[in-house]
Amino acid sequence: MGKAKVVHYINQFFAGIGGEEKADTKPHILNELPPVSAQLDKALGEEVEIVGTVVCGDSYFNENLDEAKVEVLDMIKSFEPDMVIAGPAFNAGRYGMACGAVVKMVQEELGIKAFTAMYDENPGVDVFKKDAYIVRTKDSAAGMRTAIPAVAKFALKLISGEEILSPAEEGYIERGIRVNAPAEERGSMRAVRMLIQKLKGEEFVTEYPMPAFDRVAPNQPIKDVTKAKIAIVTSGGIVPKGNPDRIESSSASKYGKYDISGFADLTEADHETAHGGYDPVYANLDSDRVIPVDVLREMEKNGEIGELFQYFYTTVGNGTSVANSKQFAAEIAKDLLDNKVDAVILTST
Amino acid sequence: MDLENQKRVKDASEKYGAENLVVLIGAAEAEAAGLAAETVTAGDPTFAGPLAGVELGLRVYHAVEPEFKDEVDAQTYDDQIGMMEMVLNVDEIIEEMKNIRTEFCKFND
Repeated sequence: MGKAKVVHYINQFFAGIGGEEKADTKPHILNELPPVSAQLDKALGEEVEIVGTVVCGDSYFNENLDEAKVEVLDMIKSFEPDMVIAGPAFNAGRYGMACGAVVKMVQEELGIKAFTAMYDENPGVDVFKKDAYIVRTKDSAAGMRTAIPAVAKFALKLISGEEILSPAEEGYIERGIRVNAPAEERGSMRAVRMLIQKLKGEEFVTEYPMPAFDRVAPNQPIKDVTKAKIAIVTSGGIVPKGNPDRIESSSASKYGKYDISGFADLTEADHETAHGGYDPVYANLDSDRVIPVDVLREMEKNGEIGELFQYFYTTVGNGTSVANSKQFAAEIAKDLLDNKVDAVILTST
Repeated sequence: MDLENQKRVKDASEKYGAENLVVLIGAAEAEAAGLAAETVTAGDPTFAGPLAGVELGLRVYHAVEPEFKDEVDAQTYDDQIGMMEMVLNVDEIIEEMKNIRTEFCKFND
């Protein structure tokens, strides 16, 4: 048997084409393996070869999902590969979503093996972990040095057809699949031991981790929106011009609360975005595109809503940890309640 | 380190020779300084830029390290960098930079 053939899917950044400003790059095949593919190819050893790299911009893929999927699939198919590796995407949300979609599609449409790699909190994990193996990586591309050997090791195992063992043994993210396995001791013994360990305050590993459902019960509807006090909260990074509190362009450690009582319309002269994860041109020209102050003022004037709350709250959602987001949300919600705000409009990017 | 700067460093090393270059870093945190230093010695750790897989092994220092500080006029240093030196975690930065140089720098002098 000859070498096993692998196609590598990556985004515009790892292809060396550019960052956010090039995220609309259309799908294409790279003539030469980019460094990340070459590195992975080296790590895969003699028996497995990366025969081609398909690249697509993250914005293009997610905004033109149907066309992009067909185009990418055709390109992958043209190599007649035995396996497809997508990423690693680390904590890049749209890249993670694209990698997950590519892997799922390749498995379903071509019937060949495929997997990806990302950080636990990448939104692609929640959406695709049931459909695909996702090798666990660090949160930023600085973790590439450790990610490549991990991806290569998993690739060799998967392509060999050997049994894939548990997530902890193989280094992929839990998929919520239960497998029967023989145990030395019967269940009651193990359960009682765990209970005793728990009572003593000792560490123990559960055999059945509870899934964490983050479900939010919807609130009661607003009875009369013409009397409601409405506030704006955004993760789109809109800030007063100059970003006075220096909210980070990604992985935000803080949020801002800014007075808009003097504004009927946000303009280039007074507001901009601090967000580093999307093309900022249109938000900088007119921040109403992210937080619609102009329209809400009109509605306020026409009596369609009660009033627009004096302040808006803002942070940057780009790569910001779930833990930070929860903390911001708790503080913002308390402030909203203290100020008797009836409803909130949440906008992203 | 962004793709443009990687290209500048690569071009400079081709034009003047790696042995004739010193890279001076001004990052505010040890981790960021370390990543930049790694990029110009062992190659781009993200494998995305022009220095991916290029092990230049350049001499690299941070502006708060004594190797640089002792070479420049004390008054000018104080005016330009003194303030930042007070707020940065200098020890952590120095340790990170030393580790990178020990591991990846090709010019041990």
